[in-house]
Amino acid sequence: MSTPEADHSRDPCPIVILNDFGGAFAMGAIGGCVWHGIKGFRNSPYGERGSGAINAIKARAPVVGGNFGVWGGLFSFYDCAIKSVRRREDAWNAILAGFMVGGSLAVRGGRKHMFNSAVTCACVLGVFEGVGMLFSRYMAWANKPVAMPIPDQQGSPLAA
Amino acid sequence: MWFGNGDNNTAQSGETLPKQQQQDEEPKKSEDISSILGSDFDPSKLHPLAGLDKEIEYLDLDDEKLNTIQGSSNGILPSRGWGDDMCYGTGAVYVLGLGFGGLQGLNEGFKHLPQPKLDPVTNSLRPVPFKLKLNTVLNQVTKFGPHAGNTAGVMAIMYNIIDSSLDNIRGQHDDWNSLASGWISGALYKSTSGLKAIGISSTVMTIAAASWCGFKRLVAGNNGSSFGA
Repeated sequence: MSTPEADHSRDPCPIVILNDFGGAFAMGAIGGCVWHGIKGFRNSPYGERGSGAINAIKARAPVVGGNFGVWGGLFSFYDCAIKSVRRREDAWNAILAGFMVGGSLAVRGGRKHMFNSAVTCACVLGVFEGVGMLFSRYMAWANKPVAMPIPDQQGSPLAA
Repeated sequence: MWFGNGDNNTAQSGETLPKQQQQDEEPKKSEDISSILGSDFDPSKLHPLAGLDKEIEYLDLDDEKLNTIQGSSNGILPSRGWGDDMCYGTGAVYVLGLGFGGLQGLNEGFKHLPQPKLDPVTNSLRPVPFKLKLNTVLNQVTKFGPHAGNTAGVMAIMYNIIDSSLDNIRGQHDDWNSLASGWISGALYKSTSGLKAIGISSTVMTIAAASWCGFKRLVAGNNGSSFGA
């Protein structure tokens, strides 16, 4: 079997794309159920609120799931591709992958639209990565090693 | 450098140092482990228990983190629990649905290509520009593909959630769980469309679950492991 210290919380690269597709789709579909359920409930007239909520869920929740799923799966795909090309893991991977995803999803809107949404996605991912870095640094600062207190040279308080 | 060079390089430091400098001055062609550690680098010599001589391992999960429900292993991928099952199942089914729907849309698009029109002035056929054809085909692909993918993905989510719930309630997994969750998810999917639609969709989902069980058995038969009944 494997080495005990190996990190198995995240699966290796080619197969993790499927995992991300499914996870993002499930997140979007279940979140879309909640979102469009509430929205359909609130936007329906009295007496048809339940059926309005169910109709909204039926019509829109799978679409939200599909949008999330395609985004997450494409992001994972590009992330793995960039990892295998660059052979290192840092924040630039996610930013570049976000750039590619934004461009790919806007590919039918023309070059200008592609570039704009690619840059937008890259900026969003850059903010995510930056916030993650700040947070991890803050956590590391909170857990920083503390120096032992210097023993009193003039004698211990018990002796005084 | 200090442990990789094999037999020709002994521990005498007076000999190794000039050679090392000489190597450093050479232009770097490619940097990987074998060029850094010497030509006859053998990873299995580093530590015999580390298992470094194996190929890349896909999904080599730790034993204590695996799914503990009896019979839940599917023989294809190891699983850490219901989350893994749902993510991989949904992802695979969604991608399959997207692919097949896209192919169907491709077919539809080629079937309904815009026809060249008769020019009233010159009385000749106006050719259809390529961009228009491409747009027609892409429209059909993006109409059919996501629809099929979304439908399949939602079905897979419901199936996997119900399947894992049944597993946890009963404490074991077998084919009856799969069939029952297929039936329930099919019925739930069409639950607002009347009894006939419910019957059709639950039958289709039960057959799909049965074929999934058969596929698992087939794969497991090749692997030589066995399943719960």
